[in-house]
Amino acid sequence: MSKFSYAAGLLLGALAAVILISQAATASGSPGSESVKDRIEQAIEPFDSLKVTTAYPLPVKTVEAKEQYQGGSFKVLARKDQITRFRCSVCHNDKMVKVRNGALFTHSDIQLNHGLGRNQLTCNECHAIENRDVLVDKQGGQIDFDHSYQLCGKCHFRQKRDWLGGAHGKRETYWAGERVIRNCTSCHNPHSPAFPTKMPATYSLPLDE
Amino acid sequence: MDSGNNQIEKMQTENMPEKKSSRRDFLKNMSIAAAAGSAGLVVGGCSGTPATEKMGLKWEEYFKKHYRLMTQEEKDATVTRLERLAKLERGINVQISDQGPHEQVLFGYAFNISRCKGYMDCVEACVRENNLDRRTKTQYVRIFEMDPGQLDPSAGDGQYHHEVPVKNKFYMGVQCFHCENAPCIKACPTKATWREPDGIVVIDYDWCIGCRYCLAACPYWGRRFNWGDPEVPKDEINLNQHYLGNRMRMKGVMEKCTFCIQRTRKGKLPACADACPTGSRVFGNLLDPNSEIRFVLKNKKVFRFKEDLGTEPKFWYFMD
Repeated sequence: MSKFSYAAGLLLGALAAVILISQAATASGSPGSESVKDRIEQAIEPFDSLKVTTAYPLPVKTVEAKEQYQGGSFKVLARKDQITRFRCSVCHNDKMVKVRNGALFTHSDIQLNHGLGRNQLTCNECHAIENRDVLVDKQGGQIDFDHSYQLCGKCHFRQKRDWLGGAHGKRETYWAGERVIRNCTSCHNPHSPAFPTKMPATYSLPLDE
Repeated sequence: MDSGNNQIEKMQTENMPEKKSSRRDFLKNMSIAAAAGSAGLVVGGCSGTPATEKMGLKWEEYFKKHYRLMTQEEKDATVTRLERLAKLERGINVQISDQGPHEQVLFGYAFNISRCKGYMDCVEACVRENNLDRRTKTQYVRIFEMDPGQLDPSAGDGQYHHEVPVKNKFYMGVQCFHCENAPCIKACPTKATWREPDGIVVIDYDWCIGCRYCLAACPYWGRRFNWGDPEVPKDEINLNQHYLGNRMRMKGVMEKCTFCIQRTRKGKLPACADACPTGSRVFGNLLDPNSEIRFVLKNKKVFRFKEDLGTEPKFWYFMD
């Protein structure tokens, strides 16, 4: 009798051990057993980022982009209200300008440094001669200032592809909510698009300190 | 025999919580009474003064649970106490959030090493957002100037003091990589640090004992220790705080990057990504196939730092 109960106890103990081990395995491995890469690859259901209700529209002027990103529509920051003295045709019309007002109206502050070496661009390669309120591409197509990415992308097509997907440029303030991204001209000065050299904001200590 | 022993143990564990809580309540009541009594003596029998209130709140705080074991009511209660304490001790009106993770969200980060110019605006934004100690110059984010061919930031120079970018150098940022298989979590003896369901590795500052095992365990130098009480000028304190994020730390606890949990759980970008003027920092939901970060992982050359360690960091470097 005692032998029987001993055997039963042993069996019970073994069973408990097996259950414990299997539990431990699932508990420690539930997210970790598959690598994070597998988990990402398996996630094919689009996330409704409008669910994040705290990502509300920003108080900045945006326009609906004329292109798609990964099958969806998005917005870009508006450009026209950032240009001082827009519309250009207020000055660029048939009327004469007095010489003494000339200094105020010429764009003497613009440093043109776009294009390398002998391929420097000139004004009229982007600005339309006939209609100063729009940009123009090499095929003569008119492009709105708010959609300058259509013009920039004619040469910088690799950057544009990355920008559409999200590897170039950046979103405005939110990762969630409606997709609002910066326009080319939000970060780059179109007349001198390379980033300037400047002093860093601070410094970093070595890693092991 | 065995099963009998098990049963006794089981009974004991079942009885434990009740016993423990009654002892806890007893101690708490005693201590509050003692605090009120002693404060009453000092201020001459006048109850309800700020000093008494502060002491009472501190006692309550001392006996609170681990964040993960708290019910929502208990979380709200401790947040209210901490807000009141900040008002009493520093005279500031902070809002401490205990917002939980969103479902179907796993945060990930990508850093473009061919586009970063080393301006370090991200470092400065992080210091201000997260109320980092100004005296010892604590930083979560670090940027290193690197020679071509190097891919180990410990060989880079972070203390450059010249105009950037320099020709033929590149810039590499490091911070906490929020590993899925994080060694720091395994090293913690008090379970004061853990990974949240949205992938952020956080610390319960009130449960950290300051042993710094996690600091030694992290292969990425991602963690910082408070050797003294952090000092932040009163008018520079960020009042939008999170319990697991940028609320004021104290002497003797660990802290680290939390992907700006107080911002990202509200749908905002982390402060570093928001401040970057070059667009080198991409942040988003790894479980969303339409997110920017997924585009980077799918279309760019990406790598992770020390991938061979199997820590599974959720921070990728990429180049154009």
